[in-house]
Amino acid sequence: MAVASVAHQPDQLYVETRELRIQGFLLFMVSDLVLFSSFIFAYLYLRNSGQGWPAGGPKLDIALAALNSIVLFGSGATMHFALENWKHGNFSKFANWIVMTIILGAGFLSGQVMEYIHIGARWSDGIFGASFYTLTGMHGLHVFAGIIYLTVLLLQALQGKYTFTKYTGLTLGTLYWHFVDVIWVVLFSIFYLL
Amino acid sequence: MEANIALVERTLAVFFGVVVFVVAAIALKNDWKSEGIENQVFKLMLGLLALGAVLGILAAFGVLIGKGVA
Repeated sequence: MAVASVAHQPDQLYVETRELRIQGFLLFMVSDLVLFSSFIFAYLYLRNSGQGWPAGGPKLDIALAALNSIVLFGSGATMHFALENWKHGNFSKFANWIVMTIILGAGFLSGQVMEYIHIGARWSDGIFGASFYTLTGMHGLHVFAGIIYLTVLLLQALQGKYTFTKYTGLTLGTLYWHFVDVIWVVLFSIFYLL
Repeated sequence: MEANIALVERTLAVFFGVVVFVVAAIALKNDWKSEGIENQVFKLMLGLLALGAVLGILAAFGVLIGKGVA
Protein backbone atom coordinates (compact mmCIF):
# COMPACT_ATOMS: atom_id res chain seq x y z
CA MET A 1 0.00 0.00 0.00
CA ALA A 2 2.78 2.39 0.95
CA VAL A 3 4.67 1.55 -2.23
CA ALA A 4 1.60 2.25 -4.32
CA SER A 5 1.15 5.55 -2.54
CA VAL A 6 4.75 6.58 -3.26
CA ALA A 7 4.41 5.47 -6.87
CA HIS A 8 1.40 7.75 -7.33
CA GLN A 9 2.96 10.77 -5.66
CA PRO A 10 4.16 12.43 -8.89
CA ASP A 11 0.68 12.09 -10.37
CA GLN A 12 -0.90 13.67 -7.31
CA LEU A 13 1.65 16.46 -7.38
CA TYR A 14 0.88 16.99 -11.05
CA VAL A 15 -2.86 17.14 -10.41
CA GLU A 16 -2.43 19.49 -7.46
CA THR A 17 -0.11 21.90 -9.25
CA ARG A 18 -1.73 21.77 -12.68
CA GLU A 19 -4.49 24.23 -11.82
CA LEU A 20 -1.96 26.57 -10.18
CA ARG A 21 0.27 26.55 -13.24
CA ILE A 22 -2.65 27.31 -15.51
CA GLN A 23 -3.79 30.13 -13.23
CA GLY A 24 -0.26 31.55 -13.19
CA PHE A 25 -0.16 31.49 -16.96
CA LEU A 26 -3.57 33.16 -17.16
CA LEU A 27 -2.24 35.92 -14.90
CA PHE A 28 0.65 36.40 -17.32
CA MET A 29 -1.85 36.66 -20.17
CA VAL A 30 -3.87 39.23 -18.23
CA SER A 31 -0.72 41.31 -17.69
CA ASP A 32 -0.03 41.11 -21.43
CA LEU A 33 -3.64 42.12 -22.08
CA VAL A 34 -3.12 45.19 -19.89
CA LEU A 35 -0.05 46.11 -21.95
CA PHE A 36 -1.99 45.85 -25.22
CA SER A 37 -5.00 47.63 -23.74
CA SER A 38 -2.94 50.63 -22.69
CA PHE A 39 -1.60 51.06 -26.23
CA ILE A 40 -5.02 50.42 -27.80
CA PHE A 41 -6.73 53.01 -25.61
CA ALA A 42 -3.92 55.50 -26.28
CA TYR A 43 -4.48 54.97 -30.01
CA LEU A 44 -8.26 55.37 -29.72
CA TYR A 45 -7.86 58.50 -27.58
CA LEU A 46 -5.49 60.08 -30.09
CA ARG A 47 -7.71 59.06 -32.98
CA ASN A 48 -10.76 60.68 -31.43
CA SER A 49 -9.04 63.82 -30.20
CA GLY A 50 -10.22 65.89 -33.16
CA GLN A 51 -7.14 65.89 -35.40
CA GLY A 52 -9.10 65.01 -38.55
CA TRP A 53 -7.85 61.46 -38.31
CA PRO A 54 -6.57 59.95 -40.59
CA ALA A 55 -6.84 62.53 -43.36
CA GLY A 56 -3.90 62.32 -45.74
CA GLY A 57 -2.63 59.23 -44.02
CA PRO A 58 -1.65 55.98 -45.68
CA LYS A 59 -4.30 53.71 -47.16
CA LEU A 60 -4.30 50.27 -45.61
CA ASP A 61 -4.91 47.28 -47.89
CA ILE A 62 -8.14 45.70 -46.60
CA ALA A 63 -8.00 42.69 -48.95
CA LEU A 64 -4.53 41.69 -47.80
CA ALA A 65 -5.40 42.39 -44.17
CA ALA A 66 -8.59 40.31 -44.36
CA LEU A 67 -6.75 37.35 -45.87
CA ASN A 68 -3.88 37.72 -43.42
CA SER A 69 -6.31 37.84 -40.50
CA ILE A 70 -8.05 34.68 -41.68
CA VAL A 71 -4.63 32.99 -41.92
CA LEU A 72 -3.99 33.82 -38.26
CA PHE A 73 -7.49 32.81 -37.15
CA GLY A 74 -7.05 29.58 -39.11
CA SER A 75 -3.87 28.91 -37.16
CA GLY A 76 -5.97 29.15 -33.98
CA ALA A 77 -8.22 26.40 -35.35
CA THR A 78 -5.25 24.18 -36.31
CA MET A 79 -3.74 24.65 -32.83
CA HIS A 80 -7.04 23.59 -31.31
CA PHE A 81 -6.95 20.45 -33.48
CA ALA A 82 -3.36 19.80 -32.37
CA LEU A 83 -4.32 19.82 -28.69
CA GLU A 84 -7.47 17.77 -29.28
CA ASN A 85 -5.45 15.11 -31.12
CA TRP A 86 -2.94 15.01 -28.27
CA LYS A 87 -5.79 14.52 -25.79
CA HIS A 88 -6.99 11.58 -27.91
CA GLY A 89 -3.51 10.06 -28.04
CA ASN A 90 -2.88 10.67 -31.72
CA PHE A 91 0.72 11.91 -31.83
CA SER A 92 1.21 12.01 -35.61
CA LYS A 93 -1.90 14.14 -36.17
CA PHE A 94 -0.86 16.37 -33.27
CA ALA A 95 2.53 16.91 -34.91
CA ASN A 96 0.93 17.63 -38.30
CA TRP A 97 -1.48 20.20 -36.89
CA ILE A 98 1.13 21.98 -34.78
CA VAL A 99 3.45 22.19 -37.80
CA MET A 100 0.53 23.61 -39.79
CA THR A 101 0.00 26.17 -37.02
CA ILE A 102 3.65 27.21 -37.17
CA ILE A 103 3.47 27.53 -40.97
CA LEU A 104 0.31 29.64 -40.79
CA GLY A 105 1.90 31.83 -38.09
CA ALA A 106 4.93 32.36 -40.32
CA GLY A 107 2.53 33.10 -43.21
CA PHE A 108 0.83 35.76 -41.11
CA LEU A 109 4.17 37.39 -40.30
CA SER A 110 5.08 37.36 -44.01
CA GLY A 111 1.78 39.08 -44.80
CA GLN A 112 2.53 41.64 -42.12
CA VAL A 113 5.91 42.37 -43.66
CA MET A 114 4.22 42.81 -47.08
CA GLU A 115 1.79 45.23 -45.49
CA TYR A 116 4.69 47.21 -43.98
CA ILE A 117 6.43 47.38 -47.37
CA HIS A 118 3.35 48.59 -49.26
CA ILE A 119 1.79 50.86 -46.65
CA GLY A 120 3.99 53.79 -47.64
CA ALA A 121 4.27 55.19 -44.13
CA ARG A 122 6.99 55.23 -41.52
CA TRP A 123 7.02 55.10 -37.78
CA SER A 124 8.08 58.76 -37.68
CA ASP A 125 5.36 59.98 -40.08
CA GLY A 126 2.92 60.91 -37.39
CA ILE A 127 0.59 59.57 -34.75
CA PHE A 128 -0.97 57.03 -37.09
CA GLY A 129 2.37 55.56 -38.19
CA ALA A 130 3.62 55.42 -34.61
CA SER A 131 0.43 53.76 -33.35
CA PHE A 132 0.13 51.33 -36.24
CA TYR A 133 3.72 50.15 -36.13
CA THR A 134 3.85 50.00 -32.34
CA LEU A 135 0.69 47.92 -31.95
CA THR A 136 1.05 45.66 -34.98
CA GLY A 137 4.79 45.34 -34.33
CA MET A 138 4.20 44.38 -30.72
CA HIS A 139 1.62 41.84 -31.85
CA GLY A 140 3.98 40.54 -34.54
CA LEU A 141 6.62 40.08 -31.87
CA HIS A 142 4.14 38.00 -29.88
CA VAL A 143 3.40 35.88 -32.96
CA PHE A 144 7.13 35.40 -33.52
CA ALA A 145 7.58 34.39 -29.87
CA GLY A 146 4.60 32.06 -30.28
CA ILE A 147 6.20 30.36 -33.28
CA ILE A 148 9.34 29.72 -31.24
CA TYR A 149 7.20 28.58 -28.29
CA LEU A 150 5.26 26.08 -30.42
CA THR A 151 8.45 24.82 -32.03
CA VAL A 152 9.92 24.18 -28.57
CA LEU A 153 6.71 22.41 -27.50
CA LEU A 154 6.84 20.20 -30.60
CA LEU A 155 10.48 19.31 -29.90
CA GLN A 156 9.67 18.57 -26.25
CA ALA A 157 6.77 16.37 -27.33
CA LEU A 158 9.08 14.53 -29.74
CA GLN A 159 11.51 13.98 -26.85
CA GLY A 160 8.73 12.49 -24.73
CA LYS A 161 8.45 15.31 -22.21
CA TYR A 162 4.66 15.11 -22.35
CA THR A 163 2.42 12.10 -22.02
CA PHE A 164 -1.18 11.72 -23.10
CA THR A 165 -2.26 12.33 -19.51
CA LYS A 166 0.29 15.02 -18.58
CA TYR A 167 0.36 17.83 -21.11
CA THR A 168 -0.08 21.11 -19.23
CA GLY A 169 2.68 22.71 -21.33
CA LEU A 170 0.76 21.99 -24.51
CA THR A 171 -2.42 23.41 -22.98
CA LEU A 172 -0.57 26.60 -22.04
CA GLY A 173 0.92 26.86 -25.54
CA THR A 174 -2.57 26.58 -27.02
CA LEU A 175 -3.85 29.23 -24.63
CA TYR A 176 -1.04 31.57 -25.66
CA TRP A 177 -1.71 31.04 -29.36
CA HIS A 178 -5.44 31.70 -28.93
CA PHE A 179 -4.55 34.84 -26.96
CA VAL A 180 -2.43 36.10 -29.87
CA ASP A 181 -5.36 35.40 -32.22
CA VAL A 182 -7.85 37.24 -30.05
CA ILE A 183 -5.60 40.29 -29.72
CA TRP A 184 -5.49 40.43 -33.53
CA VAL A 185 -9.31 40.44 -33.67
CA VAL A 186 -9.17 43.72 -31.72
CA LEU A 187 -6.26 45.21 -33.69
CA PHE A 188 -7.82 44.25 -37.03
CA SER A 189 -11.06 45.90 -35.95
CA ILE A 190 -9.58 49.18 -34.77
CA PHE A 191 -7.13 49.68 -37.64
CA TYR A 192 -9.08 48.30 -40.59
CA LEU A 193 -12.75 48.34 -39.69
CA LEU A 194 -13.25 51.56 -37.66
CA MET B 1 -3.23 43.55 -62.02
CA GLU B 2 -3.55 44.94 -58.48
CA ALA B 3 -7.32 44.65 -58.74
CA ASN B 4 -6.97 40.98 -59.71
CA ILE B 5 -4.67 40.31 -56.75
CA ALA B 6 -7.12 42.04 -54.43
CA LEU B 7 -9.98 39.94 -55.84
CA VAL B 8 -8.03 36.73 -55.25
CA GLU B 9 -7.19 37.86 -51.70
CA ARG B 10 -10.83 38.69 -50.99
CA THR B 11 -12.05 35.39 -52.42
CA LEU B 12 -9.55 33.38 -50.38
CA ALA B 13 -10.38 35.39 -47.27
CA VAL B 14 -14.12 34.68 -47.67
CA PHE B 15 -13.63 30.98 -48.41
CA PHE B 16 -11.20 30.28 -45.58
CA GLY B 17 -13.09 32.66 -43.30
CA VAL B 18 -16.18 30.47 -43.64
CA VAL B 19 -14.05 27.38 -42.96
CA VAL B 20 -12.53 28.94 -39.83
CA PHE B 21 -15.94 30.10 -38.59
CA VAL B 22 -17.49 26.65 -39.03
CA VAL B 23 -14.52 24.92 -37.38
CA ALA B 24 -14.53 27.36 -34.43
CA ALA B 25 -18.30 27.02 -34.02
CA ILE B 26 -18.13 23.19 -34.05
CA ALA B 27 -15.19 23.19 -31.61
CA LEU B 28 -17.11 25.54 -29.34
CA LYS B 29 -20.17 23.28 -29.47
CA ASN B 30 -18.09 20.19 -28.70
CA ASP B 31 -16.30 21.91 -25.80
CA TRP B 32 -19.41 23.56 -24.42
CA LYS B 33 -19.89 21.15 -21.52
CA SER B 34 -16.21 20.76 -20.67
CA GLU B 35 -15.08 21.93 -17.25
CA GLY B 36 -11.89 23.37 -15.81
CA ILE B 37 -10.52 26.89 -15.89
CA GLU B 38 -8.55 26.44 -19.11
CA ASN B 39 -11.62 25.12 -20.95
CA GLN B 40 -13.62 28.18 -19.91
CA VAL B 41 -10.90 30.36 -21.44
CA PHE B 42 -10.80 28.14 -24.53
CA LYS B 43 -14.54 28.59 -25.00
CA LEU B 44 -14.24 32.37 -24.73
CA MET B 45 -11.37 32.42 -27.19
CA LEU B 46 -13.08 30.10 -29.68
CA GLY B 47 -16.08 32.42 -29.59
CA LEU B 48 -13.87 35.41 -30.29
CA LEU B 49 -12.10 33.45 -33.03
CA ALA B 50 -15.47 32.83 -34.71
CA LEU B 51 -16.26 36.54 -34.34
CA GLY B 52 -12.89 37.39 -35.93
CA ALA B 53 -13.67 35.10 -38.86
CA VAL B 54 -17.00 36.88 -39.38
CA LEU B 55 -15.28 40.27 -39.27
CA GLY B 56 -12.69 39.05 -41.79
CA ILE B 57 -15.44 37.84 -44.13
CA LEU B 58 -17.36 41.12 -43.85
CA ALA B 59 -14.16 43.10 -44.49
CA ALA B 60 -13.38 40.96 -47.54
CA PHE B 61 -16.90 41.60 -48.87
CA GLY B 62 -16.38 45.30 -48.32
CA VAL B 63 -19.29 45.52 -45.87
CA LEU B 64 -17.08 46.73 -43.01
CA ILE B 65 -14.35 49.13 -44.06
CA GLY B 66 -12.65 51.74 -41.89
CA LYS B 67 -11.79 55.34 -42.81
CA GLY B 68 -8.14 54.91 -43.71
CA VAL B 69 -8.58 51.76 -45.76
CA ALA B 70 -8.31 51.26 -49.51
